[in-house]
Amino acid sequence: MQDLLSPTPETLAAPSVKEMGRGAIVIVLGFALYGFTVGYWRSPVMGVFVAVKMPLLIALTLGCNGLLNGLLGILLGSGLGFRQSLHALLSAFAISALILGAVAPVTLFLAVNVPSADSSQAASAHSAYLLTHTFLIALAGLTGVMRLGKLLESYSSSRVIARSTLAAWIAGNAFLGMQFSWILRPFFGSPGLKVAFLREDPMKGSFYEAVWSSAKRILEGIPPEALVGIAGGGSLILIFIYQIRTDRKKRKP
Amino acid sequence: MNDNIQTPATPPPLNPVKNEPLPENLGIRELFEALLRRPAELARHKVTEGRSALTGFGIIAVVSILVFGFVLGTFAYGDQLWAAPVKLGGGMLFAGLICFPSLYIFSSLAGSSASAAKMGGLLAGMLALAGLLLLGFAPALWIFAQGTSSFGFMGFLSIAAWLVALAFGYKFLRTALRETGATQSAPLMIWVSIFLLVTLQLSTSLRPILGSSDDFLTTEKKFFLQHWGDTIDESLSSATKVTAEKTDSGTTPSPGRGEQQNPFNN
Repeated sequence: MQDLLSPTPETLAAPSVKEMGRGAIVIVLGFALYGFTVGYWRSPVMGVFVAVKMPLLIALTLGCNGLLNGLLGILLGSGLGFRQSLHALLSAFAISALILGAVAPVTLFLAVNVPSADSSQAASAHSAYLLTHTFLIALAGLTGVMRLGKLLESYSSSRVIARSTLAAWIAGNAFLGMQFSWILRPFFGSPGLKVAFLREDPMKGSFYEAVWSSAKRILEGIPPEALVGIAGGGSLILIFIYQIRTDRKKRKP
Repeated sequence: MNDNIQTPATPPPLNPVKNEPLPENLGIRELFEALLRRPAELARHKVTEGRSALTGFGIIAVVSILVFGFVLGTFAYGDQLWAAPVKLGGGMLFAGLICFPSLYIFSSLAGSSASAAKMGGLLAGMLALAGLLLLGFAPALWIFAQGTSSFGFMGFLSIAAWLVALAFGYKFLRTALRETGATQSAPLMIWVSIFLLVTLQLSTSLRPILGSSDDFLTTEKKFFLQHWGDTIDESLSSATKVTAEKTDSGTTPSPGRGEQQNPFNN
């Protein structure tokens, strides 16, 4: 367990099929266990569906981006080949799976105790449930990414190479992963919608178009002057943060 | 006296750099490996001056771009399944051919002493590398091609993939040309900008690549920025029209539909 939570660069140098298989099994079990508790609140059947879909989401993302991840690993100079890139990413997801699998009993407890999906408080319970799981998934994902970053830094010849490889992998996998999460929806099971493995015509549309139309709907009621003000304020804050960081760097001997 | 003192053994490096020279004869597999992992050595290798590198890289580039084109063709299906790969493959070859003389001149200005034959091999290498990256993007683009119906979004994704692929291709070319004596990067930067403009214009001249049409090629001449502007305008106005129609009809979105459209609420 310890070597899964803290992978060493030695394991990355020559990953064996057994090690990669172990990582994959941990991912399937961890995400399936956690996924079951995510869907369980809506209904036990939904729990089973999500237990299948969560590991499937990881498998599809890594499978579709396998070639790209390998190419980026090589071309950015990390020294990782296709197999090593896959192993590194599996290690990161395995860490997230271990964390989520470990909190699954707690989230199951939560699913059993919050107001049910057919109660009058379903809407507020759903929102709280969504928020809790988003936080937990973000926490597990962030931990996995940070461990992956450390692993890459200890393996690569420079920190810049390690960080650029990490950034490229995150960008590529997050971009496609979001779309797969859109295709494989529902995960949380909105109270108003029926329980289903996939929504009708799951491939129709894309996550980003949905975000775009949601943003448009939100921004429609806001006057353009307010948008300009928000953008200006945001820019000023960014400039302020940048100035502070630059000053700190200058002060360092 | 100090015979018993042993110095600790240094562990072997985790990420060893291959120092052995590239073999005399390189097959497609070795070319592929060298292109990805050892571009500088590949540039020094005599294989880049011969026909084998041009053929090997050419095969990698053409096959990759044909697969990528096929994936883009699945956005509209029908005739585009063969038309899009043909247009992209042909366009890539055409861009390479018309930009080759300027590459030779600009690389000479940068200080390179590479022969025209070697330069041809390196250009093919650059296109092969870009093609491989496009191949890497292909599964992701296929997923989006099956879902979205927006030309603007699909066009944006395709162009973004091409820009990333070309950036890596440029990096390879720069490394390779340094091995042939190039000391300045500005001329190469100018050349790659020209190459990029040519490929972007070809994406407009060879249209439709994403959409379907009765004609294989359009006769209407347009600058690519104008074409993109028109496409974006159309995408945005059609989206606004749909929203306006919804508002005019006085219907509020049903909870089911609203929830379906919400990307976070699933």
